[in-house]
Amino acid sequence: MKDRLAAAVKKSRADYTEIRVERTWSSAVAFRGRRMETATVSEDQGGFVRVLNNGCGWGIASFTSLDELPTMVTRAHELSRAVRLDEPIRLAESAPQTRDAVLELDGDVRGIALSEKKKLLDRYNSAMLSVSDLVVDTQSSYRDEVSEVWFVNSEGTSLYQLRPEVVVSGTAIGRRNGTIEKGLESIGLRKGWNSVQSFDKQFAVVAQRAVDLLSAPGVRGGAYPVILDNELAGVFIHEAFGHLSEADFVYENPQAREMMTLGRRFGKPVLNVGDNGAASGLRGTLPYDDEGTPTQDTPLIREGILVGRLHSRETAAKLGEQPTGNARAISFRHPPIVRMTNTYIAPGKKGTGFKDLISDIKLGVYACGAFGGQTMLENFSFTAGWGYMIRDGQVAELVKDVVLAGNLFQTLDRIDHIAGDFTWNQMGGGCGKGGQFPLPVTEGAPHVRIEEALIGGDV
Amino acid sequence: MIERLLERARGKVDNADTLWRREEHTSVAFESGRLKAAGISEETGLNLRVVANGRMGVAGTTAAEPDPEALLARARASAELGEKVELAFPTPSPQSLPPIPTYFDRTANASLDDLIRMGKLLVERLARPDCQINVAVEREIAETAVGNTAGARGEYRATGIAVAADITRIAGDDVLMIYDQYVGADVPSDADLEMLVRSIEMRLTAALTVVTPPDGALPVVFTPAGLAAVVLPLEQALSGKTVLQGSSPLAGKVGEKVFDERLSIIDDPLTPGRPLSRPIDDECVPSRATGLVEHGTVGRFVYDLETAARAKTQSTGNGRRGVFGKPRIGYSNILFRGSGGTNGSREPTHGLGGGLLADIADGLIVDDLIGVGQGNVISGAFSHPVGLAYRVQRGEITGRVKDAAVAGNAYDLLKKIGGFGSDGRWLGARWSPSLLLEGVSVASR
Repeated sequence: MKDRLAAAVKKSRADYTEIRVERTWSSAVAFRGRRMETATVSEDQGGFVRVLNNGCGWGIASFTSLDELPTMVTRAHELSRAVRLDEPIRLAESAPQTRDAVLELDGDVRGIALSEKKKLLDRYNSAMLSVSDLVVDTQSSYRDEVSEVWFVNSEGTSLYQLRPEVVVSGTAIGRRNGTIEKGLESIGLRKGWNSVQSFDKQFAVVAQRAVDLLSAPGVRGGAYPVILDNELAGVFIHEAFGHLSEADFVYENPQAREMMTLGRRFGKPVLNVGDNGAASGLRGTLPYDDEGTPTQDTPLIREGILVGRLHSRETAAKLGEQPTGNARAISFRHPPIVRMTNTYIAPGKKGTGFKDLISDIKLGVYACGAFGGQTMLENFSFTAGWGYMIRDGQVAELVKDVVLAGNLFQTLDRIDHIAGDFTWNQMGGGCGKGGQFPLPVTEGAPHVRIEEALIGGDV
Repeated sequence: MIERLLERARGKVDNADTLWRREEHTSVAFESGRLKAAGISEETGLNLRVVANGRMGVAGTTAAEPDPEALLARARASAELGEKVELAFPTPSPQSLPPIPTYFDRTANASLDDLIRMGKLLVERLARPDCQINVAVEREIAETAVGNTAGARGEYRATGIAVAADITRIAGDDVLMIYDQYVGADVPSDADLEMLVRSIEMRLTAALTVVTPPDGALPVVFTPAGLAAVVLPLEQALSGKTVLQGSSPLAGKVGEKVFDERLSIIDDPLTPGRPLSRPIDDECVPSRATGLVEHGTVGRFVYDLETAARAKTQSTGNGRRGVFGKPRIGYSNILFRGSGGTNGSREPTHGLGGGLLADIADGLIVDDLIGVGQGNVISGAFSHPVGLAYRVQRGEITGRVKDAAVAGNAYDLLKKIGGFGSDGRWLGARWSPSLLLEGVSVASR
């Protein structure tokens, strides 16, 4: 395959040409309530060509029929020539790479019978349903894939990557009369079959939570001191800051560049944030990004100060910085754009725990788990799965509908305590941007305290 | 292709149905006011569903020359693990399919230069020294063929075009983002593009002043874009699937008045000029409109073949399928309509708030909320920070509010609607006017 792509690149008349071909084997099982929805095995494949000519823009072609490859290289070239630019697009230097990078499969999912996968998911699904008669519905899914990715460009890079992934998730719906609540468990790993065998307890726990939430009051809207658990703190840093550090937001925008000047203070000295696409075995981990740049650990905030950002080759060249290996595409159907990988808040002082964060809070909210988050850059939301009131330094009653309203400049700066209990939260789902969803990412964080944050709700 | 596939399936399985689709996209992207990229994508897919020994299985492929035997074998393997179902595959329709125009030559024949011209027009009209403008124009041409072993067949071509513009204005640490789009089956006229420009400018102008948000249970006008959080729970609850699973708050309430009696909600795949309009659904069921809510009363839920069989009713023609999964319930075009009463003036207004502001002493216009769809949606409860919202005082917009969060329950709020705006418009596949809802919780710092 590499030779075939190299030959096509060689024939290209464009100044820069890259070709990415993917072949993805996947299987999926889904349950809804007691009923199995589907059990399928699929194979998806296709190619992506991107070319650049001096004084011209990007020409892009994606296709499912590989026989069309030479035609598509020509068409991408013509499209590029149709886009005239005064200021040329430059690509930052990225040393040519030639390698076969095969990630650990940890139980090759292609060798496991579909019936075994059904059995596994049935077990997790039943673990939720058997918690209580009040669990009226579930949505459970198992999905695995092994993706083969070939990448060849006209600068001499020639890569083959084997990327596995497995995701198990379940939503339990609890209902009592008109009240409906849900609990969500989701595990996503860049691994294989062996890594998803022992989550029975976790699924039972979320179903119990859906039931417990049926008798919980909604949180009262207002500003509170808030402690985020590890999972929500991870979603928080992804939404609150991660997207702002993606350089495609600033590289063409002088005002944005000024707002995000390296050296600006965003938080107190306790705050350290980074993005590490090279971390071992996580869902956002990749040896190389989709431009063939090796991934790395990129510090973004050090002791509260902005020190870095995430780049593609184009954004790095424009800003005179180094590519960071963050140009990613969800599939051959899309161009690579600047994305996060594994984003984290670094742990605070060793031995600092939850009790150190809560002890001096008179009235506050302990926000736990994550249903999701979304950003509009300055303002963002992050939705907890559930929460507890904090009263006089103690965890008090369970509350529901805990949605936090964040502001980049206020909320980050109000993080005043970070515990030492760091964990990676390997969830399924993923990140969405520019019509590309879901991109596998991971977030990691310890318990984090925000002095004051706005929570929506009845007032 | 589908004939050959169904021929192979006949005799080997009880029944089968299939969908073949070919799509071609052409797109141009302007970044920060400059044309940066042009692209095409081509994709062909084939999806097969079988019922074998009473059990259902599915398989799909994007291979250029799909091997029918291999696809059939995978579908049968899937069926071995599948649930028992009794699907009533539609037989050939005695009438011809509804004559709905889905293919517009102007769209299909638009050249790359035509697409660039539309984008350029927007960039030029929206240019402001303090704003960054991104514009994307994407044209789709699709061919669809569906068929089943009961002899039903359907084939149609469709076009679609989306022109989207977003503006980012950064002033110091204040970030303002405004987005709008034109989506249609036919290319936009210059007047359509001009309307898009005006819609963005209107919201931008009103947003330049930032004011403090109010607090409390207040009247809030949800614009067609801002309405998403309120309508999402209804879309979930009106799905026959959710009803079957026992998680729909509307289950068992057909014929009951649940909403304001002026509110009607219709699913209409036969609306001319919309990209999701089609003569037949992805399971060979001829298209027709479905009254989901009629004058505040729950009308019908939407079903595909499988959920209809389980609920012992008929499919409403809402079967939707992709290349890989099994058919699922999907809405076509959803229309929110108000009738009678204070419906604003009949003259369409283009002002923010759709003519609903006059009686508001202190409240909000909500145009965008952050994180819609991420809470406990099915319950009807929502709680979101505002993405774009304006304060209304004594009937006038006084400026944009930030750092406020809006919460409520869709079912409670839609029991009594304060007014339907005269600014009804399409937003993707949903048509609605602005709605004035009373007693929405607004929290601020």
